[in-house]
Amino acid sequence: MPFTTPETTNYMIAGYAVFFGIFILFITSMAIRWSNLKRDFLTLEELDNSKKP
Amino acid sequence: MNKKPVGLLALDISCLVLLAVATYLAIIFAPMEVNMGNVQKVFYFHVANAWVGMLGFIAAGVAGIAYLRSQDPKWDIVEVAAVEISLVFFLIAIILGSIWARPVWNTWWTWEPRLTTAAITEMIYLAYFMLRGGIEDPNRRARFSAVYTLVGAVSVPITFMAIRFFRTIHPVVIGSQSAQAQGGFNMTPDMKIAFFFSLFTFTIVFIDLFWHRIRLGFLANKVEELKLKVME
Repeated sequence: MPFTTPETTNYMIAGYAVFFGIFILFITSMAIRWSNLKRDFLTLEELDNSKKP
Repeated sequence: MNKKPVGLLALDISCLVLLAVATYLAIIFAPMEVNMGNVQKVFYFHVANAWVGMLGFIAAGVAGIAYLRSQDPKWDIVEVAAVEISLVFFLIAIILGSIWARPVWNTWWTWEPRLTTAAITEMIYLAYFMLRGGIEDPNRRARFSAVYTLVGAVSVPITFMAIRFFRTIHPVVIGSQSAQAQGGFNMTPDMKIAFFFSLFTFTIVFIDLFWHRIRLGFLANKVEELKLKVME
């Protein structure tokens, strides 16, 4: 019986989907954390300035 | 406040271009391996993710040494950044390996030396964040974390060498492999281009994310300092 290459394209697609999914999720998490920290920083800076005589 | 440096912006753009090219080379340019079919193309990103994962764990160990020598909190920030990014890349490498294994080994997971040591490494660094979460004093936390990353770094060469030291079914692409290995293949010149380009791309992506995460750490530090100042 002649050898035929197995059809494994779905696994390849799943692999790349998992990579890009987790990668985008991680970048999004970093962006959210950055914007939250930036907001906190600005608020605290305002509070600190208002305390000064 | 903390405007993004031009170098970092250039690196961000380079990463997007490099990732697009690496994906093209891996999925379209590299030829299909006849015994495994298209699933073999997962290998290019699998190895590259594992590489940067290990690179970061070693970088964290180096940052740990730098902290213990200098007691400078900036090294603690660098260390956390390296561990966090590597944890993500290493997790991706493990999942991609599992996806590859399903059609090639006929199982999602098997407790052979490489998979076992990789899972242990991932869990060691997951526990790193649990350790940090359990210590309130920043100096003590940084000191304990630095020692932990040094001990944890030992798992990296063990994971890397596991397929070379033990009889295992995990293939070794570069170097000689065990007779039990299943799914090994010889790379054609086009496969080598896709493979080395992926390694290069992920190294640059790692540097880019590392830089971003270090900046995030410094900003978090500033916010903490400001909080204490305001509460005084």
